[in-house]
Amino acid sequence: MRPFETLDYSESGDVAEIVLNRPRMNMRMVRDLTAVCDHLEDQSECKVAVFRGHDGVFSEGIDFEEFRPDQGMDIHGFNKWEKLCVRIERLPKVTIAAIDGVVRGGGVQLALVCDARLATSQSTLQLDEVHQGFLPGMATYRLAKYIGLGNAKRLIMQCPIIDADEAAALGILDEVCDDIDVAVGATIAAFGPIHTVSVALARRLLNESFATPFEHAIGNFLAAQHRAITQSAFLETIAKAREPDE
Amino acid sequence: MLANRPRILSVGTANPPDRYTQEEVLAKYRMPNKMVRSLFKSGHIRTRHLMLPEPDEDGIPRETQTELLAKHRKGAMQMGTEAIHKALAALDLTTADIDYLAVISSTGFMLPGLTAMFIKHLGFRIDCSRVDIVGMGCNAGLNGLNPVAAWASANPGKNALMVCCETNSALYVYDEKIGNGVVNSLFGDGCAAVVVRADPMDERFFAPRILGFVSHIIPDTWDAMHYDWRESHGKYAFNLARDVPYVLGTHAETPVSKLLETFGLKKRQISHWLVHSGGKKVIDAIKYTVGITEHDVRHTVAILRDYGNLGSGSFLFSYERLLHEGKVRRGDYGVMMTMGPGSTVETALLRW
Repeated sequence: MRPFETLDYSESGDVAEIVLNRPRMNMRMVRDLTAVCDHLEDQSECKVAVFRGHDGVFSEGIDFEEFRPDQGMDIHGFNKWEKLCVRIERLPKVTIAAIDGVVRGGGVQLALVCDARLATSQSTLQLDEVHQGFLPGMATYRLAKYIGLGNAKRLIMQCPIIDADEAAALGILDEVCDDIDVAVGATIAAFGPIHTVSVALARRLLNESFATPFEHAIGNFLAAQHRAITQSAFLETIAKAREPDE
Repeated sequence: MLANRPRILSVGTANPPDRYTQEEVLAKYRMPNKMVRSLFKSGHIRTRHLMLPEPDEDGIPRETQTELLAKHRKGAMQMGTEAIHKALAALDLTTADIDYLAVISSTGFMLPGLTAMFIKHLGFRIDCSRVDIVGMGCNAGLNGLNPVAAWASANPGKNALMVCCETNSALYVYDEKIGNGVVNSLFGDGCAAVVVRADPMDERFFAPRILGFVSHIIPDTWDAMHYDWRESHGKYAFNLARDVPYVLGTHAETPVSKLLETFGLKKRQISHWLVHSGGKKVIDAIKYTVGITEHDVRHTVAILRDYGNLGSGSFLFSYERLLHEGKVRRGDYGVMMTMGPGSTVETALLRW
């Protein structure tokens, strides 16, 4: 794979690692992350994708450098960003946001589409968009699912900087740690054994859970469960359970 | 190469005039079985166009096989005439301009068939080539489109017309059993016609080219959906096995992947999915096996809600809705997908 301008991509065993190598997100980074999604979907045999920042910054959010006020504003770039978030949210991999330091704005949005969010204890989180006169993307949709409407209103409308412990208490972070590499390793181990089909189906049903009425959700569940129980992973589970005791 | 592929130039649809809500059908006949009543009330289908008989005094409709066959003929004549004229009028064509006529139907056996009847009554030329595809069920629209596209490719500039004509209320059998309840609460009457032509030089139309087909049959489930003689009723009756929607869903991924692979495409490059409105469960199954979203099946779900399962022409009703939506852009890819007895999944790839 060709090198990327805004990120470093590497694979080791089952794990792909994406290191965001500039503190702010620009359209180049959106294109690079989209290319990473293509690679993860089409070619990579990895089962896990870990997103990281560097030099004490996971991401400080959107880069305003590319905006040209004299040429008017348009929504196109924001639409591209949301499409990318949905791609990451639906990747056929377990996705982990490994935060070590500052995460703001779009960085928080990226973390919210991952399957797990870990951070070191000195990390801080902030959705600062509303104070800057715009909106924190579809975190307006996703955040309340994690932490409830009242908490989401406070974080999005008052834009406080919160520390990792508070973020974990609210339910944004799964874990606060001292050593991010150790925490990532433990989390990957906890996800195992990773059956990509049951992982993807479970995550899709969970992502749909707040928005789908029960009578539709039950039909969706039965269809997904039928798919799961006809896969080799479940058939192996059954075969093992039926083996006579030693 | 691409420029020579035939295109679907127009579509026309029709239904019988009488439209019923599920509650109205329940009220019309005596249906005491609570399970059957709950099937009607499940909510995935709100209305259907049907040709329903008046019940006897005991609330039970009685139609002989002879009457059902007459209904099949009448339904085909009425709906077929309207759908054909709509499809042709969109292109300023008349029936005399059609060189190849294919009629798809599974709601009655006639000899001579529906193509001969349409030629006799609707002004097609007597040298119009024709084919009747009878008894292939809900998937048959794509089993028909495949030879229609092949004929159009072999005869550039000439007009092929495909008509999917299903008077499903001519299949109805009334009793209190759950099996017939499933059938009677699901199927609706409808007809869809499309004009297909290969004319590489003609860029007047914004119309999709038909790039290819992939079929898939599951012989292990050949009797999961079957229509055969029911001695106790003295007529033919349709049977659906319980798990068939999910089984079809499980297999749907295979032909879709093969189709996309043939053309070097990824699923994310497909903008439009035109899936047969077979029923709620099979649509759910396809969402989670093929991996497409509620948005991708919005027309499939809406056609099921408004018309029920229309058999072979269902996916063309979705196609018509997609066109009316006005969101299709040049270069977009679409996948057509139909499921039915065999058990079968048929797929086709389109490009606008």
